[in-house]
Amino acid sequence: MFLITELIAFLCANLILTRALGTSTMFTAAGSRSNLIGTAAVITVFTTIGSAAAYIIDSLLPQSLDDIRLLLYTAAIGLIYTGLLFALKKFSGKNFYRYRKYIHISAFNCAVMGTVFTVSGTAEIAGFFGYISAGLEAGAGFVLASLILTAAYKRLNSYKVPVSFRGFPAILVYLGIISMALYALR
Amino acid sequence: MENTKTNNHAWLDLIITLFGLSVVSYFYYGKRFLALSGVCLGVSCAAELISLKLMHRKFTAYDFYFAVDALIISLMLPAVFSMKIAAAACIFAVVAAKNIFGGRDNMIFSPSAAAYVFLLTSWKDSLLKFPAPNTKYEIGEKVSELVNSESHNFNMEGRTDISDFDLMLGNFSGASGTVVIFLLIVSAAVLILRQDISAGAFFGTVIGTVLMAFIIPAADNAAVSAKYSICMNMTLFSAIYIVSDKRTAPERNFYAFFYGFFTAVISYILIITTALENAIVIVAVLAAPAALGIRNLEDKIRLAGENDIENIPASDGEGAESLE
Amino acid sequence: MTLKIFLHLTERGLKALNKRKLSVFDGLWRDNTILSSLMVISPVIVCGNTLRNAAAIIYAFSAITLFSVMIASFVPKKLPYAVKITVNAIIASLVYIPVKRAAQEFFPDIIPRIGIYFPLLAVNSIIILHTEAKFFKMKRLNMLGSLVFYILGFDLIMAVISIIREIFGHGTLNERVVDVNMTISGLGEPFGGFVFLGLLCGLYRYLRKKLSEGT
Repeated sequence: MFLITELIAFLCANLILTRALGTSTMFTAAGSRSNLIGTAAVITVFTTIGSAAAYIIDSLLPQSLDDIRLLLYTAAIGLIYTGLLFALKKFSGKNFYRYRKYIHISAFNCAVMGTVFTVSGTAEIAGFFGYISAGLEAGAGFVLASLILTAAYKRLNSYKVPVSFRGFPAILVYLGIISMALYALR
Repeated sequence: MENTKTNNHAWLDLIITLFGLSVVSYFYYGKRFLALSGVCLGVSCAAELISLKLMHRKFTAYDFYFAVDALIISLMLPAVFSMKIAAAACIFAVVAAKNIFGGRDNMIFSPSAAAYVFLLTSWKDSLLKFPAPNTKYEIGEKVSELVNSESHNFNMEGRTDISDFDLMLGNFSGASGTVVIFLLIVSAAVLILRQDISAGAFFGTVIGTVLMAFIIPAADNAAVSAKYSICMNMTLFSAIYIVSDKRTAPERNFYAFFYGFFTAVISYILIITTALENAIVIVAVLAAPAALGIRNLEDKIRLAGENDIENIPASDGEGAESLE
Repeated sequence: MTLKIFLHLTERGLKALNKRKLSVFDGLWRDNTILSSLMVISPVIVCGNTLRNAAAIIYAFSAITLFSVMIASFVPKKLPYAVKITVNAIIASLVYIPVKRAAQEFFPDIIPRIGIYFPLLAVNSIIILHTEAKFFKMKRLNMLGSLVFYILGFDLIMAVISIIREIFGHGTLNERVVDVNMTISGLGEPFGGFVFLGLLCGLYRYLRKKLSEGT
């Protein structure tokens, strides 16, 4: 019972389905199912490390300098971006060219930046580990949304779908109906 | 082996059972319900014909499913519900929840469940207020008094004063067609025997609800809790017409059972924890990706089976021996 | 009669935009930022439910994108891709600062309502991805023209979507009550945005196909 209520709460807090954060990225990655899952996994890394960086920035930045918060977050994500590329190059060898696209897609987008801003702006989230777990949860939410999309991927791109709606428009309506059901749960 | 006749005419059996429920609703609520049903049927028919024309497809017997969805929607609404809004819900069901995804051959959501959720998100107050049974209204007559459903009372208080006789006949406040338990039981039996609905999903839903009612009773007594959990919140109605809809449920009964079971368990927990009325309809929409995932798995298993058969050498006797 | 002339002119205009030669105008119709490329759709889905929200988003998106891409076009092309992307994002974040200050003057009550979607406009797909993939491969003057039409394409669709959603979702236009028979409150919610955008996207594709068949 606890697990199910937690799962429902987790679904209801999903940033893609409830706040449309990262939808464009999802569409960019929706070229294939493996792309989608790969991107979702890398976005989770970004949201988690990004939230940790946001904690440090939030702790040091005075309220009067709030306007430069975006600049600092962007710089932090930029550092994580180059850091991850270096790490991939060092540890994956030949696979670097195969997997780097996931990092390129995942770096600067609404899913990552939106998570960082949401975590930072939520009063209930406090402390370093609070930020990290919120970032991880948001990333896991992206993975879940990707799985929801992956389940219907074949049908949404099927030749049976009218040409005008095949692919992205059908995906939008599909996500909309799921999002509508989540809204009805509240 | 698939029963071709049954599959082709499942819509007809469904319409017959839904017609039975509509007759009882007419008996309880009069012409107003009839008009609502007519509007739903007419608008759904028009939406189906127009969208099929735009999709350059011919109308086939299978497309009569629009009538099934329209009747399900009308039976899930209060008998005095706004016809304009009901028409909007039917258009949403046919266009946005069905034909945009390719219609009959490529179903993702149960159109009627999606339409109900659509109504729930925009017109919740008027959707969950009902006339008392046997209060008949003329078409266009102003509705004087609306009450909460018996499901709402049960969810809030964990008890209800309805006698078993009234429960069976649907003589209590609620969505007009979803409360006639006796007729719903008969419909379920007929539809399962004629293979028109997924038996696995149906039994999964019923067993899931009963099991949860025994584990975490919603009332003082576990048996009473099981009885009302099945009869209230559209559980039985949804178990037949939404969760067990063959167009969206997993094909194999084994998988369909678990799909129905978990749908029921999640909706039961939602009702227990949040008193959410008719949670099963919402969960059925949310469970669509899971059903799709299972159906993808079934397709893979079928393909693997077909490949295995193709790989067996047919010319020599070795293949046959290995089969034996 | 007036309507007939308007429809005729609109059809002719759209047919002209569909012609391949006019690539500078791509962003307005044939490769519309929202409907074709599905870029920058989060603010459209969530904030595109009233005209006032849309006005603030249009202002911020146009200003940030135009100035950021123009400034970023001076970044040396020889830099590694990851560095260029990061520099583009940092430039956009710097441009965001004066844009936000000005927005607080023009739209003081709207900015808190838009919330995190306001800063997120600085990391939109046009600045981050489209610059390197398309704009920086063009001559600067062509790039400016193309960029302006991409921005106008976004602005136009954002305005249309928000007007329809406000009228039928809230029964108002620019926060003034309008006489509509039936409002669908869900249309103003994010899920309404998803479904409505999906339907509009399908309609756009249908029209684009029909018009390209006609030319």
